[in-house]
Amino acid sequence: MLLVVSHLEVSYGRHAALIDVSLTLAAGEVVALLGPNGSGKSTLLRALLGQLPGGGSIEWHGVSIAQWPARGLAREVAYLAQIPGWEPQQTVGDTLRLGRAPYLRPFGIESKRDIEVISEVAHRLELEDLLARPLESLSGGQRQRVFVARGLVQEPRALLLDEPNTHLDLKHQVELGELLVSLARKQGLAVLMASHDLNLAGAFADRLLLLNEGRLVANGSPDEVLRPQVLEPVYGVRLVRMETGRTPLVAPIVESRTQKTS
Amino acid sequence: MLSLLTSLLVWAVPALICMCISSSGHFGWPGDSELRRLRYESVGVASLVGASLAAAGVVYQAILRNPLADPYLLGVSSGASLMAYVWGFQFANTLFGATLVALGQQAFAFAGALISVGIVLTLASRRGRIAPVTLLLVGVIVNAIAGSMFLLLNAIRPERLAGTGSALAFLVGGIQTNLSQAQIWIAATCVAIGWIVLLYLTGKLNVAALSESESEALGVRIHRLRWTALGVASIVTAAGVAVSGPIGFVGLICPHLARLMVGRDHRRLLPIATACGAALLPLADAGSRLFYSTGKTLLPVGVLTSLLAGPFFLFLLWRDRGEMTVPH
Repeated sequence: MLLVVSHLEVSYGRHAALIDVSLTLAAGEVVALLGPNGSGKSTLLRALLGQLPGGGSIEWHGVSIAQWPARGLAREVAYLAQIPGWEPQQTVGDTLRLGRAPYLRPFGIESKRDIEVISEVAHRLELEDLLARPLESLSGGQRQRVFVARGLVQEPRALLLDEPNTHLDLKHQVELGELLVSLARKQGLAVLMASHDLNLAGAFADRLLLLNEGRLVANGSPDEVLRPQVLEPVYGVRLVRMETGRTPLVAPIVESRTQKTS
Repeated sequence: MLSLLTSLLVWAVPALICMCISSSGHFGWPGDSELRRLRYESVGVASLVGASLAAAGVVYQAILRNPLADPYLLGVSSGASLMAYVWGFQFANTLFGATLVALGQQAFAFAGALISVGIVLTLASRRGRIAPVTLLLVGVIVNAIAGSMFLLLNAIRPERLAGTGSALAFLVGGIQTNLSQAQIWIAATCVAIGWIVLLYLTGKLNVAALSESESEALGVRIHRLRWTALGVASIVTAAGVAVSGPIGFVGLICPHLARLMVGRDHRRLLPIATACGAALLPLADAGSRLFYSTGKTLLPVGVLTSLLAGPFFLFLLWRDRGEMTVPH
């Protein structure tokens, strides 16, 4: 197993952000992390990167998170923040080069391998023609693709993404989901993605984790988790489930809207 | 390697031109050996100071994620100025001891710069972590306090600034002419060692533009990097300011000038910006000599750098309006 988390506890002062969270992540698996605002999704991702101290244990490849050197862990796990940082005039090439930071030699000297990996990832994600373009000239979807590429340049075995669909339209959300699934299937990359979109998560993920007030309250297939009796207590809204023949869909029942139209 | 060679060229050509400009307005290689030595020293010190300010500017802008950050932000200039001013007072002997006073105004300025930065870094850190916004605010306040103390001393003893002695020459910023060889070599050693450390960090400085969580996820211990880079950049600045007084705009403008030439990658940016600073200040110093040759007074180089760089910076701001980022 790539990642094993046992009884993880994280607190901000007196506020318990994660309580007794246990989970696993295997190579080639796409897992979506669901939950309302403040349920602990981002905290969990940062804890898995060793950025937040806490109780319990986190093991990547059977090695405790505390034993991983920062650069070593960065070669195993890549992270895409909800709003990735970038500067004006920063080009796609500049952004991809940042992904090689864990491999750079002193004085920032690049190896031949660094250049090869950047070129190979740019080719695979069809970014070759965009390398000299500044990020501000790209569409939101293209930009998100660049940030995923930056993560892949790290040559990780796992990719953690914090709400990567934020600011993307539906087409780009679907494209990003397909890209992540393809990376998992073809390269064995493990993907753990926090998301607010239940249906999109259900459509692409092999497994859904549901967090509520810091506790993991559901862990199962989309069919098992996307049920009103599981989701309603967590989100505090009434939901209806629709069978599509493939992944089920859930939608909120909006009372005020129903009354107005009826 | 290519960027280091380019940097050498960017610095060497203006420096050689500056060697040929005399205070009488003549252009030509100095024939007299004593004049040549003085000219070497003048161009060398100006290059050293310019290089230190420009290199520190690159680091401050990267670490504070603010394109308007300047090497003086953490109180280096106000601390140096205050202590350089204090040096001439009788009570300095009592407070700091005759030995330190005997080391000269530059030693006082260096100590003042480091004390100021030390106070700023201590007050702005919390559990070993430095937040850029807090650092900026504390820097502004410490600068203001040091400035007020300077004005207070000046109000008590106004005659200290009335003349044109070395205290005044230091405070307006200019290449000092009362430096001993030891002072020059100490400053050069501090700047050289500091610069090599900063060059070592350039790969990580690229990552510093990202958020803390992203930087750490790329294997960079961002808080350790901030401490190291800001500490070293401040020592480099202090070494430069101690031999020149506060010279404005070089640390702000040269990183931007270099970005226009080589882009944002700090591995190329640091050497080129350093070369720009090392070239700009001797040019301003030569300009000051030319101004003197017209029969006017010797202008402090700080005045010329502001006159040269200010409009250029305003142009950059106008061109990139809306694109300048603020730290978050």
